[in-house]
Amino acid sequence: MEYKKIDMTSYNIHLIKTKKFKTIDIRICFRKEIKKNEITIRNILSELLTYSTDTYKTKRELSLKTQDLYNTNIFSICYRNGRYSLFKFHSSFLNEKYTEPGMFEESIKLLSDVIFNPNFNDIDSFNSAFRYVKDRYKKKLESIKDNATGYSLMRMLEEMNGSMEYSYRDIGYLEDLDLITLDSLKKYYNELINNSLIDIYIIGDIDDSCVKTINKYFNFKTVKSKKIDQLIKHDHIPKKIKVVKELDNNNQSKLSVGCMIEDLSEFERNYVLTLYNLILGGGTDSKFFKIIREENSLAYYASSSLAKLDSILMIRAGISKENYEYTVKLIKKIMKSIEKGDFTEEDINIAKESYISLLNEIEDNQDAIIEAYFAKDLLNLGDIEERKEMIQKVTKEDIIKVSKKVKITTIFMLEGVGQIEED
Amino acid sequence: MKKISLKGLDQFLYYERLDNGLDVYLLPYDNKKNYIIDYVTKFGSVDTEFIPYGEKKCVKVPDGIAHFLEHKMFEQEDGIDPFTFASKTGTSSNASTDYECTRYYFEGNKAFKENLDYLLNFVGSPYFTDDNVEKEKGIIAEEIKLYDDQVEWFLDEELRMALLKNDKHRVDIAGTIDSINKITKEDLYKTYNTFYRPSNMFIVISGSFDKDEAIKVIKENKILNSFKDNFKIERKKMKEDISVNKKEVVKKFNTSNTRIGYGIKIPIGNHDRFLFSLYVGAMLKNKFSASSLFIERMQQEDLGTGIFVTRDIIDDYLLVLITARTDKPKELVKSIKEELSNVDIEAPDLERIKKTWIASSVMFSDSIAAMLGEIVDDVISFGKVISDRVDIYRSLNVKDYNKIIRSIDFNNSSVVTIYPNKV
Repeated sequence: MEYKKIDMTSYNIHLIKTKKFKTIDIRICFRKEIKKNEITIRNILSELLTYSTDTYKTKRELSLKTQDLYNTNIFSICYRNGRYSLFKFHSSFLNEKYTEPGMFEESIKLLSDVIFNPNFNDIDSFNSAFRYVKDRYKKKLESIKDNATGYSLMRMLEEMNGSMEYSYRDIGYLEDLDLITLDSLKKYYNELINNSLIDIYIIGDIDDSCVKTINKYFNFKTVKSKKIDQLIKHDHIPKKIKVVKELDNNNQSKLSVGCMIEDLSEFERNYVLTLYNLILGGGTDSKFFKIIREENSLAYYASSSLAKLDSILMIRAGISKENYEYTVKLIKKIMKSIEKGDFTEEDINIAKESYISLLNEIEDNQDAIIEAYFAKDLLNLGDIEERKEMIQKVTKEDIIKVSKKVKITTIFMLEGVGQIEED
Repeated sequence: MKKISLKGLDQFLYYERLDNGLDVYLLPYDNKKNYIIDYVTKFGSVDTEFIPYGEKKCVKVPDGIAHFLEHKMFEQEDGIDPFTFASKTGTSSNASTDYECTRYYFEGNKAFKENLDYLLNFVGSPYFTDDNVEKEKGIIAEEIKLYDDQVEWFLDEELRMALLKNDKHRVDIAGTIDSINKITKEDLYKTYNTFYRPSNMFIVISGSFDKDEAIKVIKENKILNSFKDNFKIERKKMKEDISVNKKEVVKKFNTSNTRIGYGIKIPIGNHDRFLFSLYVGAMLKNKFSASSLFIERMQQEDLGTGIFVTRDIIDDYLLVLITARTDKPKELVKSIKEELSNVDIEAPDLERIKKTWIASSVMFSDSIAAMLGEIVDDVISFGKVISDRVDIYRSLNVKDYNKIIRSIDFNNSSVVTIYPNKV
């Protein structure tokens, strides 16, 4: 695999040449500072741009075109990463040696159409698309509680600190939806295209000649957006744990526990914390799995995960409401035991093996490869071989030291009081 | 070993049936890091009435036993448990239960031979005690509650119950909390000894591994070699009439949006199952996919969003399941019925569908997991691997389409409406 980064001033092109895959995958990432009141409009724009374009003015037309191009897959996603708002376009299509000559350029041209020709000019077709997308999104916003686990986690983060970026709802806000107009969409779209940090990744059996095609169709003329410090640190870590409960008509209760993490060095953040998380609740060998699930039968799932750029660790478990006190007690006990060094060299080695295995399998998948290069820039991580070396350097003392920096600050319990039996 | 060419994909599958009856399917890749081993028994949630090995009378075991057994397989009498064994080399281990099969898989990039041998051994070593059975009930109860709280699962379940009268595909895979509480270790041993025999099992390996090494390890495995007789399993098959159980069902659920499920029950008769399913799939794609006129109408008339169409082969029937969110359930159902009253297809539309299916197959072949999953599904649904899928797609034509599709009664259907009872 050969990697080449080309700085085009307004954007970067990352060429990843490999013969491993039958497809060509392109990802175009726009990065800007996140603003709470832009989240909803960002999501709606994302859905609108991939719904129809000025050339293919209905969903049906756009869909027919993608089918014509041998089922090329174009979609976009938006989410937050630390202080950055990310807007990513994905395109995946077969290498033209499997389809027919000219398909490479045609597929890139279509992606370019999606990005550069929004369906904003024809008022009727815009209104039709906007009405549908808005209604569909409204339904999504109204049903956030249907994903009870996700809802519980989201509420926990809001209760942790409602003014910080990590408390912003990735899905957006119902009250912002009605404020969106064609004008506000145009304005945000122009902001996105002209003032973002832009990276274009392309992976597959390609050569340098594709750079010409990329520059032809993605000639961004951004004013270089300023880079910001994406890392979120905590000004103040509360000593008292805030507990919030909400009721819902579910059979199962969803417990979410939030922990703030004190000052970490880069090595601790990128490596030690990862192993700590694996040992605590990151899989079937973790303390949470063994103790909460296997030994005590309290849960089917009990796990922990990290938001590294937010300096946060999150714990979630699906339990019966009667077991709330005991489960929280166990979680605290397990965390305390790790601070006391109650874990073995074998636990550490298993966590290291898991990490190395995940690194090994990156090259099997186009998305994982692109993500690894993206993370390398964002988190200042080394390349794969370097990362394997660094993880081996983590010691038991390192993990104990980091464990003492992880403090529970917030508990949110979505208490399930049972489904209403009704026909 | 038979070498089978997977048409149009530049890949070879190796197949052998061993003396003990085990079917082995090997799909080696030369450009991947990971391997996946999937050890499958043709025993799932539907098999609750059978004549146990060594007995003469038919017995009935509680619903959810296949899934319960899957959980308990990870218990070992002594020595190392499967999760820990796999983790030592960064290998992940998991299992899943479906209506017609139970699967145990290892995925990783190290210690292939050791992991393969261990997997064969641990699935071949049942260890059930009163205590470990009792302990699992709490865990599975939480798993059941997790799914019981999700409206998509609820709708799917209600649709199956509406379409099927007796067939066990209408019963939830995990059973109910009541049914699993009745399970004893005797039930588990009886079930295990009957269905976990090599003549009722198969193994699929995909990814980076040496096929000669693999077949050697499998052939030399002591536990597999201990099975001498060719025991023929007798399972009771429920007789299922052509007519649906209930034409209309209305329910309330803890959710925010109204949803409908439109199910069609189609007898397969003497048709080739794969071809039959394909032609029905072509009809559904033509009528209900993003490029269809129906979807365009749905969008323009605000009939609903999030339409999802699947089909499932269940014994002698093909079930079609259409679900959507909607504020106008009656109008949407009426529209679907109208759409199904004319199911003809134009040749150019069929050609376009074929093109996308062939392209998808080629894209699919890059993923070791996707190919493995397809092999397992083929064996369960059709008794063999469809190695000439791409050729079959090419052969689809309007004449054969009409012969099959025009013979189907699409009115043999059930409609489930779920109203929200959230405030």
